[in-house]
Amino acid sequence: MEYILKTKQLSKYFYQKKALEKVDINLEKGKVYGILGPNGGGKSTFLKLAAGLLKPSEGEILIDNKNPGVYTKSIVSYLPESNYFYKWMRIVDSLSFFQDFYEDFDIEKARKSLNFMKLEEKERISSLSKGMLGRLKLTLALSRNAALFLLDEPLNGIDPVSREKIITSILAAFNKKSTIIICSHLIYYIEKLLDYIFFLSEGQIILEGEAEDLRNKKKMSIDQLYQEVFQS
Amino acid sequence: MITLLKYEIYRRWKWLAIRYAALIILGFIFYNRAAVSPMQYDIIAASMGKFFLISLIAFAIIIVEGINMLKEDLFEQSGYLTFTIPRRGRAILFSKLTLLFLQLSLWTIICIQFGSMFFHKLPLEEISQITTQINFPFYPAILFVLTVFFNFVLMVHFSLTLTKTLLYNKKYSGIISIGIFFLLAYLIEKFYYGPFLHQIQRIYVEIGNVSNVGMLSAGYTSVIMNVVLSVIFFSATAYLLERKINI
Repeated sequence: MEYILKTKQLSKYFYQKKALEKVDINLEKGKVYGILGPNGGGKSTFLKLAAGLLKPSEGEILIDNKNPGVYTKSIVSYLPESNYFYKWMRIVDSLSFFQDFYEDFDIEKARKSLNFMKLEEKERISSLSKGMLGRLKLTLALSRNAALFLLDEPLNGIDPVSREKIITSILAAFNKKSTIIICSHLIYYIEKLLDYIFFLSEGQIILEGEAEDLRNKKKMSIDQLYQEVFQS
Repeated sequence: MITLLKYEIYRRWKWLAIRYAALIILGFIFYNRAAVSPMQYDIIAASMGKFFLISLIAFAIIIVEGINMLKEDLFEQSGYLTFTIPRRGRAILFSKLTLLFLQLSLWTIICIQFGSMFFHKLPLEEISQITTQINFPFYPAILFVLTVFFNFVLMVHFSLTLTKTLLYNKKYSGIISIGIFFLLAYLIEKFYYGPFLHQIQRIYVEIGNVSNVGMLSAGYTSVIMNVVLSVIFFSATAYLLERKINI
């Protein structure tokens, strides 16, 4: 079995706070994974570790059998929750930026996606609404032919119409060579995308399994299961 | 590296253009005042002084910007964009320092150009008096100033990067970076420059060439020491950026 991401006893501490504690997961190529949990559960920390923005306190994380670094950054497409663009940028500049730095960036795909997302290339990023910004970030992240996509709360602050567009884009971007990890607490919208699910709470995996198995075993939707797990 | 440099320039080109245009325009305004007042040396001196002051302000802005170039990426969310691109830490740092070097070079060219224009408005006999009185090692001095400037910026960069490595939280990062900077400055003075320069000074005193001791700080010895220190700070900062930092 081919794994794109493996962790071994992966922990991340911020002073005394344990953001992630002894996490062991192996992610196969060609699947969509959901890391679900409440805010502060360690979802974003996990993605940042995979993106190479954070360094593990203990344990290790391997992407395509390599420690996060220049190579892994070239095959990982990371979509952070925040507005990470430079202040001076227009949409067209962000396209050029991605084209210049990522060999796997498909500019034509990005332009089509912008059109689909109803975004104008000449617009200043600083003037975009939260929904438009979310759509732009997703356009850029999904226009790469990356081996691993890390999507941190891609639906946060997005209106229902845009959410549907985003879901459609994620589906369109997916192929059997790539793996997608989606972190979200808006389960209802992303449930249909997910093959495998991790429930993360206080830095630890408290439940995991194939989405279909969990639904059958618990006789409820993932959304309902989420409510049950985190409200108990 | 060139692509990184291109985006560093993109990020700042408007301010760069405004800054240098302002320096040149003000230089011409002050020079014009000096030029229309021949033999009125008080006016020429005042114009020179004003240009000198404006140049110093521009220099200070370049220093602050040189520091902010890395600080923004370390402490603002734009760091997610900068530090997820597949480039080495040293390439990212080098592109920022290259822009700093280009800025400084342009500043130096403008200042030397206007300086010489003003200089020619002074009486010739006074110029020759000044030049004979000052036994000034011009090139070592320029190199010394350049390396001191780079050392300063690299020390600040290292302090900021070390702070961000040790401390994820942004809250006290400013004060801790300043603390690290002053501690480094103290240690460098005490254990690096201090003993070495003291030794050199002793040798100079022993051979009776005391007059050269004052110029020692502007000599090639200090330039080499500065370069060594810059290489150490650059390597350490690049290492932290690539291997240790938490963005």
